[in-house]
Amino acid sequence: MSARKPAPKPKPAPRGKLAPKRAPRAAARHSSPPRRAIRRVLIANRGEIAVRVIRTLRELGITSVAVFSEADRAALHVLMADEAYPIGAGPSRESYLNLERVIETARRVKADAIHPGYGFFAESAAFGSACERAGIAFIGPASETIAALGDKLAARAAAKAAGVPLIPGSDGPVATLAEARAAAKKIGWPVMMKAAAGGGGKGMRLIRGESELESAWQTTRGEAGAAFGDDRVYLERAIERPRHVEAQILADGRGNVVFLGERECSVQRRHQKLLEETPSPAFSAKLRREFGAAACAIARSVGYRSAGTVEFILDERGRFYFLEVNTRLQVEHPVTEMVTGLDLVAEQIRIASGDGISFGRTPPEPRGWSMEARVIAEDPAANFMPSIGRIERLRAPQGPGVRNDSGVYRGYEVPVFYDSLLAKLIVWGESRDHARRRMLRALDEYVLDGPRQNLAFHRWLCAHREFAAGNLSTRFIEEHFRPGVLAASPSANEVAVLAAALHAREERLRVALPDDSRVNGGSSWRWAERRRPAGARR
Amino acid sequence: MKFWVTLEDREAEVEFRTEGEKLLLEVDGRRLEADFHRLPDGEVYSLLVNGKSHEVRVSPGANALEVTVRGVRVPVEVRHPLERMLGATLRKSGAAGGETIAAPMPGLVVALRVKAGDAVAAGQAVVVVEAMKMQNELTATHGGVVSEVLVSERQSVAAGQALMRIRAS
Repeated sequence: MSARKPAPKPKPAPRGKLAPKRAPRAAARHSSPPRRAIRRVLIANRGEIAVRVIRTLRELGITSVAVFSEADRAALHVLMADEAYPIGAGPSRESYLNLERVIETARRVKADAIHPGYGFFAESAAFGSACERAGIAFIGPASETIAALGDKLAARAAAKAAGVPLIPGSDGPVATLAEARAAAKKIGWPVMMKAAAGGGGKGMRLIRGESELESAWQTTRGEAGAAFGDDRVYLERAIERPRHVEAQILADGRGNVVFLGERECSVQRRHQKLLEETPSPAFSAKLRREFGAAACAIARSVGYRSAGTVEFILDERGRFYFLEVNTRLQVEHPVTEMVTGLDLVAEQIRIASGDGISFGRTPPEPRGWSMEARVIAEDPAANFMPSIGRIERLRAPQGPGVRNDSGVYRGYEVPVFYDSLLAKLIVWGESRDHARRRMLRALDEYVLDGPRQNLAFHRWLCAHREFAAGNLSTRFIEEHFRPGVLAASPSANEVAVLAAALHAREERLRVALPDDSRVNGGSSWRWAERRRPAGARR
Repeated sequence: MKFWVTLEDREAEVEFRTEGEKLLLEVDGRRLEADFHRLPDGEVYSLLVNGKSHEVRVSPGANALEVTVRGVRVPVEVRHPLERMLGATLRKSGAAGGETIAAPMPGLVVALRVKAGDAVAAGQAVVVVEAMKMQNELTATHGGVVSEVLVSERQSVAAGQALMRIRAS
């Protein structure tokens, strides 16, 4: 381990008890939580989100403490953090999901707080309460809030109590197949069967008619039991061509809840988001007001603290229905940052330290439009199959209105154990069309060779007529995408032909030249090796 | 110097000529002026064709070369006149060889959909490999009869490891 030696630092806050170091105005005005100094933050995550959190910590003058698995010794978050400590073997369960190891490391290195990022422990009530017991601030909601909202049925009940519209469905879990059948008939086909403990698109199934009910009942419950240890399922009416929209909120845990605008995340495959934007092209000012009020009402009803996202479905008539609450920072949070000018990680840290929200009750007026494209190591032409390998070449886009949140660098080997998200390309524009054209420009600039990636898919998407018109739904890919659309254009094919011939000519000339002309190691054996198939390399 | 470039069953003849500093190409009867400049970044070139600027990467692919143009990979085969004559004979003999299903990346075999002796159609899923939290179905390209299954379920496999062989029927 070559972690840098911790810089001499002030004595950490006493363990176990919250330590009001200073007695600022905030502490005088509110009763709880008291102010606590946050000077050392451990990031219980990896990849682009760990890097993103480290950036804010650096700006705030807070010491960043990374943790890493054996597979991540050379990962970017380790290189960028002030300190870094190993937490186990490559597989997540043995490192990033090893609760005792992460907490023990945080205690040992005297972290005041833990930022969980997204994924891993971000929505684990057990992890949150372990932090609380260890006297370490969890940068997120209280563990009871996570537990309450993590149960989809409890979250639905909270939404209902707050007067927020729900998709008509079974009020509570369905215990038997007969009960499911009766509920489905009452709701009307098609229906969605969802696991109470599910989320993030996992543990849900569309049932078009009664004939599909029994097999869906078996598989959904089986999957839910295996994946979440909880096989309760419930039914909801399936919305045709829905849009996925979500509300970004910030709450100080003392009753101040603010709405920071919506995000539209309709472009998805296998329920995984690929491109997000804010605002939503489907929103009017009136809808936005009602939507924000509904999201805040749910957050307020559970005494929410920190940044959070309330997800909704928007139907073709512009009616929204509550879906779930994500008690974490979302992958797509940067689009909100681009139009508001806020740093949501900094806000989370302020809230965790008891300082509340930087702007109080009135959020900044959002300006312009922002889009985010998830750059994923996968092959869209081969059913989005994930890909791994070494980043052979990398040139990220730059210039006006472009932000690239990446977790990789040239020469970095993408490990097999984790999420295949390599980077997020975020752009800002004055209008939706400006943002879209800027995204296309930035995608054109982006060079990322090595593993297969989906930049060409995003180029196709942003150039698509229906996308440009803002006609989105979660079925967009199903309706418009065919692997063939990513094939090279005739002009690209022509360039390829010329390049291949020119390359072959260079290699020939190089071999034919006398020894002293063979610069850059171009000898005849190398020529032979280059002609070998890729699999035989290395 | 002359080369034949094959791209998706179409073959183009590219002939080179130099005129002083100029490099001239003749492709299917069209004359072009090209400048091909290797960048310090691996097998990457700046290619100017009649002044139009392109950045391309030429790397060894599954069959001969793979050219990346604006992020799209284009598989091509380049042959010298002599190789072209040889290739025609080689291909005839190699065509009936069948195929080997290999793991595209390290992972875990979660399901074998076929067993030795089974007939498989082109495009049929034969094995499921889990990697990066995703289950990936591997399919037979040409189809045939499974001659050998080289792995078992729950076995960890390395990238490129042969999983099964299918002989052309």
